[in-house]
Amino acid sequence: MTPAPSRRLAAVTGLALAAAVSLWWLGSTRLAVDDGSDASRIADEALQLAWLVRGMALAAIGIHMGALQGFRSGAGDALGLIAPSWPLVAIAWTASTVSWAPMALAELALLAAGVALPLIGRGLHRALQRRELAGMMAMLLGAVLLAALWLSRSLGYLSLT
Amino acid sequence: MRRLLLLILALHCSAQAAPAPGIDLTATPAWKGWSRPGRATEVDIRLRTEAAMPATVEVTAGRHIIRTEVDLQPGRSVRLQLPVSSAEDVSVSVGVPAGTLTKRDVGIAHSESPLLGSGLVSGDPVQLEGFHTVALTADDLPRHPSAYSSIDALILDGPTLRALDQRQLGALLAYISACGRVALVNTDARTGQLLDSVRGCSGQSLPSAASLAEATDLLKSSLHARLPKPLTFADIDGSVRTVPPLLNRVAVALALYFAAAVLVLIFTTHAAVLLLVPALSAVAALALLHTMQPPAQLVIWSEGSSGIPLARYQAWQQFAGVQRVRMRVPIPPQLAAEAMPCKPTPAMHIDFDAGRAEPAFAEFDTRLFHRVSLCYSGSFPVSRAVSIETRADGARIVRNSGVKAWPEGALLVGGLVHHLPALEPGAAATLAAKSGQAPGDATHRMAMMRTQVDGAAALWTLELGGVAGVPVDSKGWLLVSVPAP
Repeated sequence: MTPAPSRRLAAVTGLALAAAVSLWWLGSTRLAVDDGSDASRIADEALQLAWLVRGMALAAIGIHMGALQGFRSGAGDALGLIAPSWPLVAIAWTASTVSWAPMALAELALLAAGVALPLIGRGLHRALQRRELAGMMAMLLGAVLLAALWLSRSLGYLSLT
Repeated sequence: MRRLLLLILALHCSAQAAPAPGIDLTATPAWKGWSRPGRATEVDIRLRTEAAMPATVEVTAGRHIIRTEVDLQPGRSVRLQLPVSSAEDVSVSVGVPAGTLTKRDVGIAHSESPLLGSGLVSGDPVQLEGFHTVALTADDLPRHPSAYSSIDALILDGPTLRALDQRQLGALLAYISACGRVALVNTDARTGQLLDSVRGCSGQSLPSAASLAEATDLLKSSLHARLPKPLTFADIDGSVRTVPPLLNRVAVALALYFAAAVLVLIFTTHAAVLLLVPALSAVAALALLHTMQPPAQLVIWSEGSSGIPLARYQAWQQFAGVQRVRMRVPIPPQLAAEAMPCKPTPAMHIDFDAGRAEPAFAEFDTRLFHRVSLCYSGSFPVSRAVSIETRADGARIVRNSGVKAWPEGALLVGGLVHHLPALEPGAAATLAAKSGQAPGDATHRMAMMRTQVDGAAALWTLELGGVAGVPVDSKGWLLVSVPAP
């Protein structure tokens, strides 16, 4: 896949994820408001969700992109995946009880992962010398990362509040 | 020179060592410290000092803090009564510029059983099955009507009533007009007349007797009469709509951003643009929220009886946050007498104006879509007298039997809502037998629920133009019950 289409695909994926989380957040907030319950808990969950879905998408494809397209292109795609959620994150934060420091750290961690994972992919390609094998290994590592992320979230290690 | 220096040093040291002027602080809860969970009560604070100084009085009740500034004068006692929610942990602290803080804990006991206040000079014991009786003196009665929510019934004799000061009497009248249960024992005719003139609920809640035993029996039998329950915020919540318009605006802003982002993606995939567009949009979103005016709405529901000069009201003011900020809102002066936070959370500071003896400002933390509500209650003078006659053909003649004209409204009778025309004093209108309609909106349904099955009521929209400081988006109603035609 050439850089421009893959980047467009990554950005569209990022936009789609942000739109889906927005839809869930606004819908749930409307229900909470009608119900008279606290809308800030929904915003807290929306922030967690926005972080988690981007983290999982990044874990799944970050290393693979680096292995197949190189570091620069992979990092660009990763940023294209992360950035579209920022307006949602900013608005949801104003509705949440999450303090700014954990939220900023979470976004920085995503950006750092967006740079680090393609770099690992690139390193894998160099170490294995074979594109197909590197791609497969990257997929495998991505799946392990994804599972680790989900498990950490389930065990409550990734709470923003 | 050396002596002079020593003298200056001695004076300096004595100034440093002089203790800050002490404050004599007493804090006494109303109703001898008895209340019920989730209700309101009052703390009577007395301050005395030997030096002139400004002081800040803070009453902490759960997560609410009521704060007021007072000027203390040497040898003069300052007394103020502050309405508070009946949290179990209530404390009063007084701070002065010198930095000393005097603190007193106020014990509030929560009764599981309904509370019966007994204000009898004779001290005779009163027993009412299922009630916990609290023996009171005149000074134990509160100055704020909201504090009456602590008790469920009251027995008062003539001497106790005569010993009440103006503010205590005002609060008691407001309680009686709000259908509070009060049994009077051996009161003089003048006091009886005064209390009777404001009675709500057709006097069912205000029995009067010559002896304690008779008053207790009357109070006991009055417990069987169904009195209208105070409305809760949940009952009226459907009328308060502050958040949905805000939610719609946020949804539109996000939709516009997504559309713009897709448009950008069609033309470029440059990494800098893909980063810059969301980053700038996030900043723009925060700026947009910053410029938005936090929506607020006030809803007033008032009820009275035809010919009775006082109507009791409950009001709810809701503030919706648009950003994470500490919000300071003025409390409308005409509603301020009985302003309280509606819920134990969130934490709230209330600035109490000691001069007016009313809350002036409320301060709380807010967030986008976060709703904070203040509850008001009290009574206001009203002049609406309605009489209804039913003709043989089923038509009803509605007459304005009062001294003031009334505007257009609705008449609720026989489970139907009729249009009530504006009528001058003494004028009458005829409503055809089949002119009514089933209650169509939430307001009419609520009014119907608050009307006795065999009774009638007139409903008018309140004109809130004369109420200072109310939000633009405010509404109010007056429901006047009318004896059955």
